[in-house]
Amino acid sequence: MKGPLAGLRGIVLTQAWAGTYATELLGLLGADIVQIEVCKRLDSWRGARDTPLGASLAAVATAEHPWNCNPLYNSVNLNKRCVTLDLQTEAGLDVFRRLLPFADFVAENFSPRVMGNLGISYEEMRAIKPDVILCSLSAYGHTGPWTNAPGIGGTIEPTSGMSALLGYRDGPPLNSGQMYPDAVAGLNGAAGIVTAIFHRDRTGEGQYIDLSMQEANLAFIGEAALEYALTGHVPERMGNRHHTFTPHGIFPCSGENSWIAIACESEDQWNALCTVARQGWAKDARFKDNSTRKTNEDALEASIGDWTASFEQDSLVAELALAGMIAAPVLSGTEVAADAGLRERGIVRDVAHPETGKWAQAGNPMHFSRTPADEVRPAPRLGEHSFEVLSELLGMTEAEYEVLVASGVSGTEPTK
Amino acid sequence: MAKSALEGIRVLDLSASMSGAWCSRMLADFGADVVVVEPPNGHALRKLGPFDGELRSIPAMYVLANKRSVVINEATAGGRERLLAMGRRCDVLVSSVRASELETRGLTYAAFESAGLIMAHVTPWGMTGQRAELPGNDLAVAAVSGWAYINGLADREPLKPNGWQSSFCAGVAAYTAIVAALHHRELHPGEGQEIDVAEVEVMASTYAPALLRAGYHGTAHQRRKEIDMTAGPVPVADGHFALTISRAHFWRDAMNVLGLTDLAEDTRWESSDYRAKHKDAYITRVQERMAEWTKMDLFEELSSRRVIAGPVLTMAELVENAHLREREFWVQADGVRHAGAPFQMSETPWSLRSGPAKPDDNQVIER
Repeated sequence: MKGPLAGLRGIVLTQAWAGTYATELLGLLGADIVQIEVCKRLDSWRGARDTPLGASLAAVATAEHPWNCNPLYNSVNLNKRCVTLDLQTEAGLDVFRRLLPFADFVAENFSPRVMGNLGISYEEMRAIKPDVILCSLSAYGHTGPWTNAPGIGGTIEPTSGMSALLGYRDGPPLNSGQMYPDAVAGLNGAAGIVTAIFHRDRTGEGQYIDLSMQEANLAFIGEAALEYALTGHVPERMGNRHHTFTPHGIFPCSGENSWIAIACESEDQWNALCTVARQGWAKDARFKDNSTRKTNEDALEASIGDWTASFEQDSLVAELALAGMIAAPVLSGTEVAADAGLRERGIVRDVAHPETGKWAQAGNPMHFSRTPADEVRPAPRLGEHSFEVLSELLGMTEAEYEVLVASGVSGTEPTK
Repeated sequence: MAKSALEGIRVLDLSASMSGAWCSRMLADFGADVVVVEPPNGHALRKLGPFDGELRSIPAMYVLANKRSVVINEATAGGRERLLAMGRRCDVLVSSVRASELETRGLTYAAFESAGLIMAHVTPWGMTGQRAELPGNDLAVAAVSGWAYINGLADREPLKPNGWQSSFCAGVAAYTAIVAALHHRELHPGEGQEIDVAEVEVMASTYAPALLRAGYHGTAHQRRKEIDMTAGPVPVADGHFALTISRAHFWRDAMNVLGLTDLAEDTRWESSDYRAKHKDAYITRVQERMAEWTKMDLFEELSSRRVIAGPVLTMAELVENAHLREREFWVQADGVRHAGAPFQMSETPWSLRSGPAKPDDNQVIER
């Protein structure tokens, strides 16, 4: 089975992360995602003609073209077909317009002016395909005074309020380790498109979705917005702490950069922690109940950190988990790739790519009993499916396709 | 009244977690009728701080909005039967507990005996596998998914994402899966199914770039050694500001705005490789100039030149933000200002019709 969205098709103009992730999720659910890319201006996540290959790929003989070997692009474009078309040429635009009737939905994450400038605004698409669904993902949305202000994950994080809340209690606002707001926008973009599909199923009507990354991210800190509305208190950075429960933190283990997450959400879990640790906490008046522990949280965390620091991560996690605690290892990228718990359900799996070889990747996080969506295909190489898609959908001949290639409208290499 | 996408869809929310509650909150926001089941001592989320002046849980108020509530005591003779009967009248069930607990409570998918029913399980680790029976939360999920390891500073402890990010991400993924299953059922009447969404898997999915980079590069992505403009927000006159330079023209225009014309005119600096290699020769100078600006002045100046930049805004500033106001992002429910739509739909708009469910709605529900 190919998943609950089998039979649907998206013709998408997504690039970088937010848009490509939204449409990748729909591809993982079984939709046929045809991503239109441009040879003369590559998706920034493909890199460029001279982007250096990752160190592990140096020994991989098939890893020839840097733009097909970028981990950023290849991580968020699973289950897609790539067609290259230069939409700034009349020939390219003509092909796109002929493809449009085969699309159930379109998605794009250009700056807001681009689609109109290309002559493929929502209204222009509707003239060709009246029930089309178009999802635009942009930094600040398609209306309002900031609509033309450019933004990416690294600047939406500050302007959405996320950075002000992320950080150590005694430190400045931080950005996440990798542009988290794009992922939030991608998840919400997929949600918006399936919502529009279900509405079209029942009414035959398409629609336009305007996703502002700033707003999608603000919805994810809506409890902080509500706190300010109800109390007038501007929420602060909390590090790893929780408003209610303690302990709730990340503590050192023996060994370099080795850490354990520990949390107690009940008296039972606290008692279990005291029993395992045998540090006299159960008899310490400062730690008598959750409320006194909260008051003495600095002392409690220091004491827990002193205790955990002499233990090896794996065995401590196992011992605490057995006792019913919330305890988890802090995993690095290489450890996530190898984690048996993540591999056994298929979210982390080896995906074979024709140039880069076989590497651990994150697949589909949504499991279905009746319509299992378990097919995972590698990210497409630049223009890999151009002729396949154009012949399949438009009946284009090889000779007609060669004309597009010869004129630079389509191709499999970045324009020099 | 505007149409809504999920009009007529009935949802019974058995979940007790932020992720389950956000999933059903989205179902409600796009028009489904969501009834949340509470035990006699109240929904688990109502115990979470911070609290307002009336000691109501603020996180619970956010995620239980737009829903109705029914109090059911499963321990009584008729309690479970009532739940099953209500579930059978619904299109969608949302659950947040592990398989063994569902079994004990007699609330498995099979127990509802309803072919068209869609039942979504949103749990920290998933319904099967080696961690399925373990307790978990946002902190633990941040640890195992890889996110904590890359957030924060190299010489400090790893940081979980702020707030309930894993729960919100998993809630949206579960929502997406449910609507995809509704689509399938629309084409194949009577074909309901079970959905299994694990918070840790959704966060692993959002971690995908760092995961594959660790493979291709042979080393895991690490936390930042220091905070400078290449790593996120840096201090300006009245707060913090992110200036992420990628394209050549961003560099030129930004250096001209900051009055550093020698850096703007020397084209070697336009290459990101060159900047990375000679970081010490520009970082301090640029950050010193940035510190002379207020964050909004610098943002206006740079964004008018289409340079990617962003001021760190606090909740107080976001509420006053002219852009969000013009887009009517903030909305009122029961007289309180709430965050609005995560995305705007032209034909079937998101809508917040009521504040949080109250446990005394009982009589409204029983029909």
